[in-house]
Amino acid sequence: MNTTEDHKILEGIVSGNEVIITTFYRNNLPYIRQYILQNSGNEEDVEDVFQDALILVYQKLKTDSLELHSSLRTYFYGVCKNMWRNRLRKNKKMVIAESLPEDIQIIDSDIIKEIERKEREHVYRKHFLNLSDTCREVLSLLFQGNSMKNIAHITGYSEGYTRKKKFECKRSLIEMIEKDHIYEELQLKPEKKL
Amino acid sequence: MERTPEIFDKIEGYLSHTLPKEEIVAFEKELATNQELQQEVEKHRVLHKTLSDQDTLDFKEKLMQISATIKKEQNSPSTLVSAPYWKIAASIAILLGVGVLLWYTYINQPNNTQDLYGAFYEPFPVEDAIRGNTNNEEIQSVVKNYARGAYDSVAVVLEKHPNLNSQLQLYLANSYLNINQEEKAMSLFKDIKSSGKYYEVAKWYLSLTYLKLNTPKKSIPLLKEIITYNGAYKDKATRLLKALEKK
Repeated sequence: MNTTEDHKILEGIVSGNEVIITTFYRNNLPYIRQYILQNSGNEEDVEDVFQDALILVYQKLKTDSLELHSSLRTYFYGVCKNMWRNRLRKNKKMVIAESLPEDIQIIDSDIIKEIERKEREHVYRKHFLNLSDTCREVLSLLFQGNSMKNIAHITGYSEGYTRKKKFECKRSLIEMIEKDHIYEELQLKPEKKL
Repeated sequence: MERTPEIFDKIEGYLSHTLPKEEIVAFEKELATNQELQQEVEKHRVLHKTLSDQDTLDFKEKLMQISATIKKEQNSPSTLVSAPYWKIAASIAILLGVGVLLWYTYINQPNNTQDLYGAFYEPFPVEDAIRGNTNNEEIQSVVKNYARGAYDSVAVVLEKHPNLNSQLQLYLANSYLNINQEEKAMSLFKDIKSSGKYYEVAKWYLSLTYLKLNTPKKSIPLLKEIITYNGAYKDKATRLLKALEKK
């Protein structure tokens, strides 16, 4: 069930159309907020889940693997709710007793596995974006496969400073990730390698 | 396992297949018996794989900006106006707006210092190292909140600490600027030691605070001082000074 309206939104998401994404964000956040706040979450959890679910949709669109058997809204709510239930379950905060809402059931088991698999990625991304501009620049170039020499050339720093900065930034990033409670929970219950 | 630049270089070389053959053999031998090293290599591997996807990072960043914009709108007093009265309120706002426009056009001199403030102000960026007590979880959380723009929370926590170092003073003062407590911000910027590395930064933000308070004349000597100091803020100060002198 992919309406013209949904099609427009999906196109807006994959092309990074700020107006369309902002409208989608504004229209759908209250529903997810209510769900998460009512189920042991806080405001930070709301933003994290909402954004991580949108990233999942974005990545599926980019790889042409999004299969919608319902409206986009129902699908999206299902992803958010599954994501939140998954985090709560790992955090042992949730006793899963209530019957599943319709939009949770609509999500097939492959997506549930994907949600689980991507949990670690969300933590990595979130902390990377909290680094200073210098750290992000140096590490981005490193992750794109550049040598220290290349990075020094691109940034204009000396090679020694680049190496020092790369180490400090990466260590600080790993430490922030390790301190994240979601990451800790993933470490306690490591995901199976696919 | 202690993290050192050498270990990082080796792991990166191993993952990017750029280590010399003999080093690969030695590294794999150690890897086979050292569980901590195995975990560390895995962390680096996932880190590199995840963060090399620049498109998704850009998308996430966009979402963070959108979220910040929406929060800003929600926190603005206009959203508190109840629905049945919004039309009346909007009409009053338009009338007031027209009045203010006339006041600025015909009575007051054109005043674009707020625009200049908007154009030049960027929050002092989060640094990758926290000076002093790095293990303090409260401070780590403050930095995290500062980075995500939760300035209220930053101010609530930091103002309880009597002896902040200059770096945290800058975070607090910037937070004050973002929650419209300019007087407090001003006093903190003035308080930053002239001997320390943050002195120039503090001068820059103090000059912007004056701008925000619509007292640009007080910004000018500070900007001149920054230009003479010839440091990281020289270019910005030169541009801002030029813009102010045009007024």
